[in-house]
Amino acid sequence: MKKTKIFVIMLLVAALFAGLVACSDKKTDETKAPTTEAEATDAPETEVATEAPTEAPTEAPTEAPTEAPTEAPAAALTGAIHVYSRDAASGTRGAFEELVGFEGELTDDAIVTDSNGDMAAKVGADQYAIGYVSLTTDFAANNIKAVSYEGVEPTQENVLSEAYTLARPFNYVTRAAGDFGDDKKEQLVKAFIAFLTESAEGANAISSAGGIVDAAGKKPWADLKADHPIVDEDNSGIELVTVGSTSVEKAIRAALETFQPMAGNFTFKMSHAGSGEGPAGTVGAEKDSAKKGDIGFTSRPFKDTEDVSQSMSNGTFCLDAVVICAQVDNPIANLNKDTVAAIFKGEVANWEDIK
Amino acid sequence: MDKEKKTIQARLDSFHSRKLWQDKIMKKIFQGSAILAALMIFFISYFVISRGIQPFLSSYGDEQQSLIAFISGDRWRPDISPPVFGVGFIIINTLLTSLGAAVLSFPISVLTALFIAKIAPPKVRAVLTTIVELLAAIPSIVYGVFAAGTITGLVKDVGNIFGINTYGGNSMFAVIILLAIMIFPTITSLSVVAISAVDRSLELGSIALGASQMETNFKVVLTSAKSGIFAGLALGLGRAFGEATAVSMVAGNRMVGPTWNPFDITRTLTSTILSGMHETSPGLDYDMRFSVGIILLLVILATNFMIQVIKRKVGGVTHE
Repeated sequence: MKKTKIFVIMLLVAALFAGLVACSDKKTDETKAPTTEAEATDAPETEVATEAPTEAPTEAPTEAPTEAPTEAPAAALTGAIHVYSRDAASGTRGAFEELVGFEGELTDDAIVTDSNGDMAAKVGADQYAIGYVSLTTDFAANNIKAVSYEGVEPTQENVLSEAYTLARPFNYVTRAAGDFGDDKKEQLVKAFIAFLTESAEGANAISSAGGIVDAAGKKPWADLKADHPIVDEDNSGIELVTVGSTSVEKAIRAALETFQPMAGNFTFKMSHAGSGEGPAGTVGAEKDSAKKGDIGFTSRPFKDTEDVSQSMSNGTFCLDAVVICAQVDNPIANLNKDTVAAIFKGEVANWEDIK
Repeated sequence: MDKEKKTIQARLDSFHSRKLWQDKIMKKIFQGSAILAALMIFFISYFVISRGIQPFLSSYGDEQQSLIAFISGDRWRPDISPPVFGVGFIIINTLLTSLGAAVLSFPISVLTALFIAKIAPPKVRAVLTTIVELLAAIPSIVYGVFAAGTITGLVKDVGNIFGINTYGGNSMFAVIILLAIMIFPTITSLSVVAISAVDRSLELGSIALGASQMETNFKVVLTSAKSGIFAGLALGLGRAFGEATAVSMVAGNRMVGPTWNPFDITRTLTSTILSGMHETSPGLDYDMRFSVGIILLLVILATNFMIQVIKRKVGGVTHE
């Protein structure tokens, strides 16, 4: 009995080994393949942008869908569009629906994925898929490609230059100077804003949480520290309260947690409930209510009705971008806002119907 | 001499009393563990139920949900406003996927168990038993990765043969295959135990009456072991109903239903509870997951009851 058990286990180990060997063979095959694939897809992509709109509709019906992935990347895909979405609690989904403008109108036929990685993997496995991921996603590893939005390619440069419009600013606004109720707290907020917007460490924390920051021109915190002597004191008695957008929470938590040990171990409380409460809780109508905060955040530009001029400081600390994605074999290269909305609302159901 | 006897007797007495005393303590410890384990079910049920019924009570305020709409609903859209929580189609989806898996897995498992317990030579038996045990030990997330990487590809190819564009293989069919593989070791190992326990004299009696070995195996051994085999089915179905991680990786979480086409995406009770759990915040969306949990408990209870009923009907033997 014992001997056979050992025998079986050895057999399984041998099988595992054989599997590994087989996989490594496959990998060498795979590494060869993408180079040719990349060449094949690179060229047609530029063609599609110019030719597809006129040629695609006439050619499409003659091309069999099974041929599309191997031979016909230049011809339009035909068949039902598979809409991929994230679950309702996702921040990426919130940003995407808000920016494209179809909040609450997602088609009933959408498939719901669990995470950014799950979305990328599933779109990469489905030729008829359209989905959206964050800009930091590894596109090549997931077999997906980024689709341009309104003719602009989603790159970090285009997001920072505001040419790519499927992006939104993350803004901050502080209370008015002298309105913090505590001078030390005011200095600490000032130090934190400097850390958030000017330091390399702050930029690092934000980008690790998915925010897009221009790293150029950021200084190490050690250089900025001299202007903020408050950080060398013991600040464990001070509690900073942040309010506003839930989308910024991840980035701000990362920044606050990095800053905490550098600034006398202050404590912080984050009660984020929505962009509107950022300006309202610091300089607006709610600034003395239970919803008040020291720093408020919005995940959109400030509205005209939100007067932030009296704040000690305000501005944009990073950008957030969503990228529409499809499988690499999908010939789609560019989509505009109305088409994207129509696809995700279920009004355009087939790839051949995309104009 | 007498004195010596007395001291030995005294020693023996003290030894016995110490032993008795130790026995009593151990008994209390065992009793305590049993009570604690039994209490767990009450704690869990109480917590889930008290939380899950909240949204249907008038004390919940503006967001109060209608129980009838919840149970009979054919849409699950927590994302729109006002949110729509309809669990009816999800119950059907869950029953379809789990029972589908049981239909695939049950015959294979029972026949495997019969082979292992009665037919296979001892060496083969040992090998097969170890393999079944190893299968049972594989964590569900590993099954999930396997399903997302392999089963979906298979389903995608099968779909292509029929000219169906599957969602990259994510489908009800993939869920059924995955669950069938996952519950196979559970049903098999319990069935092996049940079949091995069948009295050898029953078999010999059957053969003596002129039945062949195969007739004996199917008509005597399996019917005598049915109690254990159905216990295996109940446990296997319990695993199928309760599996969340692996299922959500291939289910696709359809928002309307029920799903009848095996190549279409589906949504189960467990994947509904899990989907977006890590990003949600306390509120209606969070509490509704507990409501779905209650439904899941009820579905499992109802299925176990049905299995008991079926067990009494099958084979015609009434003893347990």
